This record gives sequence, structure tokens and C-alpha cells, in this order.
Amino acid sequence: MSLLAIGVLTLSGCGSDSETVQDDVTVLDAWVHSGRQSEREAISEQVARFNAAHPNARIQLTLIPEGAYNGQVQAAALAGDLPDLLEFDAAFVYNYVWQGQLIPIRDLLAQATYRNLIPSIIEQGTYDDKFWTVGMYDSGLALFGRRSALEAVDASIPDHPSEAWSVQRFDAILHELAARDEDGRVMDLKLNYRGEWYTYAFMPALVSAGGGLIARPDNDTAQGVLDSEASIGAMRWFQRWVKEQQRVDANVDDNAFVSGRVALSWVGHWEYERYRGAHGEDLVLLPLPDFGDGSRTGQGSWSWGITKHCSKPAVAAQFIDFLLQDRQVLEMTRANGAVPATHSAIKKSERYAADGPLRIYVTQLTEGFAVPRPRTPAYPVMTSIYQNAFNDIIDGADAQRALQRAADKITQDIRDNQGYPNVAEREVGEDG
Amino acid sequence: MAESKTRKRGLWQRFDRPSIAGPLLAFPGTLGLFLFIAIPFLTAVVLSFTDLRMGSPLPTQFVGLQQYERILTDASFQRALLNNILFAVVVVPLQTMIALGLALLLNQQLSGRAFFRTLFFMPVVFPMALVAVVWQLIYAPGPNGLMNSFLHFVSFGAIEPVDVLNNRWLALPGIMLFSLWQGVGFQMIVLLAGLQSISGSLYEAAAVDRAGKWSQFIHITLPQLRNALIFTMLVTTILAFRVYAQVEITTQGGPVDATTTVMYETVRTVFDRQQVGQASAMTVVFFMMVLIVTLIQRALTKQEREVK
Repeated sequence: MSLLAIGVLTLSGCGSDSETVQDDVTVLDAWVHSGRQSEREAISEQVARFNAAHPNARIQLTLIPEGAYNGQVQAAALAGDLPDLLEFDAAFVYNYVWQGQLIPIRDLLAQATYRNLIPSIIEQGTYDDKFWTVGMYDSGLALFGRRSALEAVDASIPDHPSEAWSVQRFDAILHELAARDEDGRVMDLKLNYRGEWYTYAFMPALVSAGGGLIARPDNDTAQGVLDSEASIGAMRWFQRWVKEQQRVDANVDDNAFVSGRVALSWVGHWEYERYRGAHGEDLVLLPLPDFGDGSRTGQGSWSWGITKHCSKPAVAAQFIDFLLQDRQVLEMTRANGAVPATHSAIKKSERYAADGPLRIYVTQLTEGFAVPRPRTPAYPVMTSIYQNAFNDIIDGADAQRALQRAADKITQDIRDNQGYPNVAEREVGEDG
Repeated sequence: MAESKTRKRGLWQRFDRPSIAGPLLAFPGTLGLFLFIAIPFLTAVVLSFTDLRMGSPLPTQFVGLQQYERILTDASFQRALLNNILFAVVVVPLQTMIALGLALLLNQQLSGRAFFRTLFFMPVVFPMALVAVVWQLIYAPGPNGLMNSFLHFVSFGAIEPVDVLNNRWLALPGIMLFSLWQGVGFQMIVLLAGLQSISGSLYEAAAVDRAGKWSQFIHITLPQLRNALIFTMLVTTILAFRVYAQVEITTQGGPVDATTTVMYETVRTVFDRQQVGQASAMTVVFFMMVLIVTLIQRALTKQEREVK
């Protein structure tokens, strides 16, 4: 069935999607992830504003659900049906670049825009010495807690990632919280999200323990890294909390923290508004526990890129410049609680200012506590395999065996692809 | 005028010859079969011998039987095959029996018969995705879950709350249960129609011969329903092999591959890992499996015809 669909798509696909309605109006198709309602409203409004301010350009927005986003992009790429510009989870950009779907944007963006970006955004967008993608925001991943519940068990509240609880201390705190809890399930790991969440949220724990997904910086093998003692040890903690001790709420209704069933929630910035609404002043943000090598957290979020099909890259870049102006960045980050991607917006944002409630996110990103997901074209395959292993481990599978299998599979994929050699890039230059 | 009329008739007569009309009329259907079934399948067979990856700029290579070797030695895929077979072996007979029971029940002269028929048929109208989400809520773990609190209540606290969909032994039966719940209404309606087409005179004659209810069921109802039963079992078998939506929504193949299916593994392989070649090999294996089952079923139903 799916093969047939691909075949039909390939037949019907034909190059660029952009069309010119009148001679002087450029119409550009843009894909964005549909996100939360507040995000959808923000981006739709911003596009309308851009179109109104630029009579010669018209951005046409298509919202795509996040769940199958990469699958959609891959299928469209295969069919030659990609839009002029699109958003994607930044971890996938290296694969798209390798496939030759994107064009570098460093020289298309205004110099002021580029200089205003925070380092993690520049790092994320840079691959093979070129700059490919830029987001309006970076992400924040940490623990939300209820201060009253933590104080009841005499847990000190760290306010800098360097003071994070050790994993043993964290385990003890869970134990004490559980003793006071009706069902003993005191933590929310957002297991209801599944998918990419597993890699984004729990891969940093591997690094924090001294392991990881793949050997850096060469990204050539997962063996000896993903199946190292350190990685196995980190995953065993999760197995212990989820499976053996039943400390983690399944969160089927996504209301575990809001309803007060749990005292801690391992989640990203996007829950801030809702959690704050539910718990007000009792809400506290904590760094993730230290698995041995220092607290580590995730980074990277949705990010914009321009495809090689784009008829007017200059106009697309103009739109991205527009999105990165303070007003748009602040609107969007207010809508989703993410960390603004620009220095100037962070300065203007109360939440991320030095004494703001979400300052830890900025500290994590700027002081080296955040680890990017591996920057390699192998990432989509790698994350799918790791997600499977993580799922199996928290369901009770032997951690060592599961990680060994995953490491072998990832390494096999890298070998199958001859180490993902850089072959597409030269063609981009010619095509673009 | 006269000339053209004869020519027309001549044309018509030529068309009227069965040797031409048959193939001509069959052509659109055959073309459809060829385009939408034969070509995709042959493509899959060819692709299964390559390492084609979606979007890869590397040249596609011929890898022989490597993809088959990999999937057949992959624990997840082996488990998927086993799960599919288990699913069919349990669900097909069970669902057919329950459907037959319901059909017999609703064929009685009950008051509110139409109401009950509608009620039992309703789940068939719901999309599987919706059913899966609803049942996920029913299975919600913890003492407050709908099913858990019900079981706790009716057993006076003897049954402890379980997390059905995250339990290695209960997850697949859990999915079977609501798949059955969703599908049974359709079979029930087919069997009900079958029941109503049985002539009342057969039962009257049997009653005259002093055949009891059970004897009537065995010797009249079941033989008369044979075609309807064969049809429903065939359809259910095919649906049982195609299990996908339930798994995707409720368990994603977990816990530890306990609920993964061939369909699910195939979709993951091609859309998450972009390995078109490997996924093609999976579909070929899947096709062979369904083909074998269908052949066995055909052989069995043929035998019955011969007996008659």
C-alpha cells in the first residue's frame, strides 16, 4: 500500500510548488508543525502580518501534525513535492542536508539577525561548516515540582544545574515522596508522549552518566557508547523507577501534574503556562538529576529551513528575518514558553531574565549543560532504534541486551550507508 | 443508409461474439488488478532485493537475500509474525462464535429487537482509531481506571488493578478484546441475514420428526449458514492479519514487542527508518503468509462443497 502511494507520488511530483499569481507577487508555500492552539494562532497571525506588510510576497501556510512530521517530509522529498520553506525538528536537519533538500541560509539572512542568535541555535544550525536552519526558540527541559511537596520531605531545592541532585539523592527523594503518596506514583515522565520525546528527554541522562547515543565527534559507531556500562546504568535507573518501583504515573490523561497526582514532572518548557495556572506560586523549576557526570539536559526545537525547490530564497529569508524580530519571537515564546532564540528577545523577556522563573533554561543552554542530539544524517534511524530500546527497557527488558541490540542496529545502519558520506551537497550547489 | 445499417449490424455481431466481448468487458477490471495489485506487488518483490532507502543520495544497490536474512533473524519481526498468527487463531473462531450467538439471540421474537441489533452493530460504524482511543481510556491503569474500578467493585476488591496495555501477557489479549468488540457486529449482521433466509418449513418438518432445539441447530441452522460462515471467517481472517491501527494508537508494539504486528513493523521500517528495501521484504513475507492461509481456507471450503 505505502509503496504504491510512493509510486503515485513520484509520478505526480514535479519540482517546485511556488507559483506566481501576478508577475510581481511571489507566493511561497510554508509548512509548520501544528503544535498547540496558542502556537498555531501566533504563527498564523504573524504570517498575516508579514503578508500585509509585504505586498510583493505571500506566504501560504500549511499546518502538519507533529506525530508523523518527519515521515511526511520524507515522502514529500521523495516526490519532489517539498514546499519553499518549512519547519522541522532541528535534530532531523542533518539528514535533510545530507539528502540535499535544503540550501544554506547564512548569506541570505540579514547580518543583524545572525549576530543576534544565541550560541545553541547557531551550533544547532551549523553542519559541515555551513548554516542551514534557524529557529525562533530553543527548548528548555527540566523538572517541574511542587515546592510544598518537596519541602515536606526536606528536599533541598537546587537553583543552578551545577547543584542538581545526584541520581541517588533523587531516587531517595522519590522514595520519600512515595511514602506519603496514595498510589506511590509520584513522578511524571510524560510517557504518554512517546516517540521523539524519549530521545529528546532521556538521551541527556545517558550523557550525564558518561555514555551517550553514539561516539562523538565522528558519529561512526554506537558500539561501546550506547551499550557502555554508563549508558546501561542510566537506563537501569529509569527501569527501576518505572517498572520495579512503580514510581511513575502513566499519565494517560496528560493531567498527572496539573491534577496534583504527582509531585515532579520531567517535561519541557511547553507545560509552563498550564502548570503555573494549576499550581501558581507553588510551582518550582529544577535541573534534571546528575547521573554521575553532571546534570545534562536536552536542547533543540522546531526550526526553519529553505528547500532547494524555493523559487525566491531571498523572499523566504526575508520571512525568516521577520520571524526573528523581537516582537514575533516574544509572541511565540509567550505562546509556548520556549527560550527565545535571540539575545535581544531574552533581554526583553521577564521569564528568562536573571531572576525570572525560567532562568534555568537559559543557564542550561548557555553554560554547557544542554547536549544537542547527535548531529548526523543517521539521526532519524538512530532515534527510532533508541526509542524502541528505551520503551523495551522501561517495560522490563534486560537493559544490557536491549542497548546492545540497539547499538548493533545503529552501527549496522551507519555501515549500510557507508558512513553517510557527503555526496549530495555538491549537487545542491548546481541545482540551487 | 441501408448500407451503413448493415455495417453497424456487422460490427455489433462481431462484438456479440463471446470470444471478443468477454476479454473486452473484462479489460477495465483486469487493468485495475494489474495496475493496483500486480505491479505494486512485483515492485515490492524487486525492491526487496535492494537496499533502497527513502531520500538517500547514495546509489541503490542489489543486495540479494540480505534483507530477508535480516528480517527473519530480527527478534521483533519474528515476534510480529507470531503475534499475527496468534491474533488470527484466537480472534477468528472466537469472534465468529460470539457473532453467531448474538445473531441467534437477536433472531428471537424479543421486544426491542431492532434496538439491540442497532446497539450491537454500532461499534462497526466507529473508526478503529476512535475505538482504540476509547478503550485506552477504559483500560486506564490505576484503581481509578474505568475497567479496573469496575472489576474491583464486582469482585468485592479481590481483583487488583492492572495496567492491561503495559502488561506483557495482557496487552495482546487486551487489543484482541476491543478489536473483537469492534468487529463482531458486522459478522452478526451477515449471520443474521443468513438465519433469516432459512426457510421456516425446515424447522417445522424437524419439529414433526421430534428433533430437539439442539438437533435443529446442528442439522439445520449450521448447514444452512455454511456460506455465510465461510464468508465471515474469511473476512475476519484478512482483517486479523491487517492489525495496525489498534497497535499504533495503544501500544506502539510494546511492551517489549508483545503486541507488534507485521504491518506495524513494516510501517515503522519505511516511515521511521526510511528503509524501503527492508520494508518491501516484510510485505513480501506478509503476502506469502496471507496467501498460504487463504489457500488452506479455500481447500477446506472446497472439501465441504464436495461433501454436499
